[in-house]
Amino acid sequence: MLLTLFLLGLLYAVLIGALVASGASGVTIAIVAVALFGFQLLASDKLALATMGAREVTPQEQPELHAIVERLCIQADLPKPRVAVMNHNMPNAFATGRTQKTATVCATTGLLRMLEPAELEGVIGHELSHVINRDVLVMTLASFFAMVAALIIRFAFFFTAFGGMGGGMGGGRGGGRDDGEEAVLVVILVSMVVYAISFVLLRTLSRYREYAADRGSAVLTGRPSALASALIKISGTIERIPSNDLRSAEGMSAFFIVPARAKNSLMNIFADHPPLEKRLAALARLEAQLQGSAK
Amino acid sequence: MGLFDALVGRRSVKGPAARERLFALSTAYITLQTEQEIGSAGVAGIVFQPLATSDFQSIVRDMEEVVKATASDMGATVESRDDDYGFRWLIVRDKASVEDLVVTINGVSSALEDGGYGERLLCAVFAFKDAKGAPINFIYNYKRGSWYPFVPAGGGQQRSTERELQLKAQIGAELPIEPELERWFPLWGIPF
Repeated sequence: MLLTLFLLGLLYAVLIGALVASGASGVTIAIVAVALFGFQLLASDKLALATMGAREVTPQEQPELHAIVERLCIQADLPKPRVAVMNHNMPNAFATGRTQKTATVCATTGLLRMLEPAELEGVIGHELSHVINRDVLVMTLASFFAMVAALIIRFAFFFTAFGGMGGGMGGGRGGGRDDGEEAVLVVILVSMVVYAISFVLLRTLSRYREYAADRGSAVLTGRPSALASALIKISGTIERIPSNDLRSAEGMSAFFIVPARAKNSLMNIFADHPPLEKRLAALARLEAQLQGSAK
Repeated sequence: MGLFDALVGRRSVKGPAARERLFALSTAYITLQTEQEIGSAGVAGIVFQPLATSDFQSIVRDMEEVVKATASDMGATVESRDDDYGFRWLIVRDKASVEDLVVTINGVSSALEDGGYGERLLCAVFAFKDAKGAPINFIYNYKRGSWYPFVPAGGGQQRSTERELQLKAQIGAELPIEPELERWFPLWGIPF
């Protein structure tokens, strides 16, 4: 996931960089950038569902899952999202969709088999909280802003570099060319640094929104410990499942309730989900609040 | 409130709407009876999320005692039941009067609201029967303070949307009907 996302972003940056280098006008570049963003915004949820092999299910096929979604929607005062199921042994769930009306909540068959109704309710509550908090939109926008920030810095450097070159040309033809090449190198370097920083910031934002969704689920269901129990079950199984399954599902990890990857394989600042222990501790605090504060 | 909440991802659960909207049924049912030949099945239920805290449980215990006592004065019976999804139902039976059903259901929701747990209320269901004896439910959504018909059709988890839309047209003037159709949530496994 990390590598995919990083490379995807880098590709984005390199593409725009190449356009700049080839002498395309600012307008062309803006159009390409906006078109890419639009595609990302409009098609990403459908792409996600399609590439994951998720299939929308009717209430007849999955009466229990639908019933849980419906009751939580009443409780959350949310229109009912589409309900999909992915045929996969790895227990997990995710939500997609930019708006509350176009949202889809998806669970794997492994999840449905493994969890008790109350635990499943906690997980669905987490995904519905993502829908309520408009997390797909927030993350898409945030990643776009990060991209724009990187672009602005690149442009700034680029034009300064050309400005410097123009001045050099006025004074004498000698060093102008070399200055330009050096400047391009600096531009690439700086944009990479900006990109790396925004990447880490995005991960942080993503982790924060996971906590928010856990809290949202606990408030919605009134059962923080059921979600905690579900998280323990899910992550326990994920670590035990062969790595084949892990790799085939890795691309979607940001959308999952528990990321699909081996434990400790990445540094914490790059992780899109908070560590399990911290999420459990936060849920334990919510449970204590619920039990203690007699309103 | 909205934008900041969306940005930080912090929201609380919505509490119940104004109480009067529930009482719309105690006049609307007369129209149902006289014009559509749809009569009360003599039973209604209210469903809420029970919290596993001692405070909540003592409020529910006290509420059940009070509601049962007042109901038996009116000639109604009340029983409580937990469903498969962990929700608590209080089921009120009173063949004689729809008003008594509404009053008893309102007693339950008021007690929870007064105890500070109004946001745990989901909905109330009132069972009716048409002239042919087919079941019709009117569901009151506490969050939105609106009503909608729910007509299960034969077979698993099928509902008769046509019948529901007819009912909306027939009673819409007297009951505050939920305007958004995607919020006409079905309730399967109603325990009565």
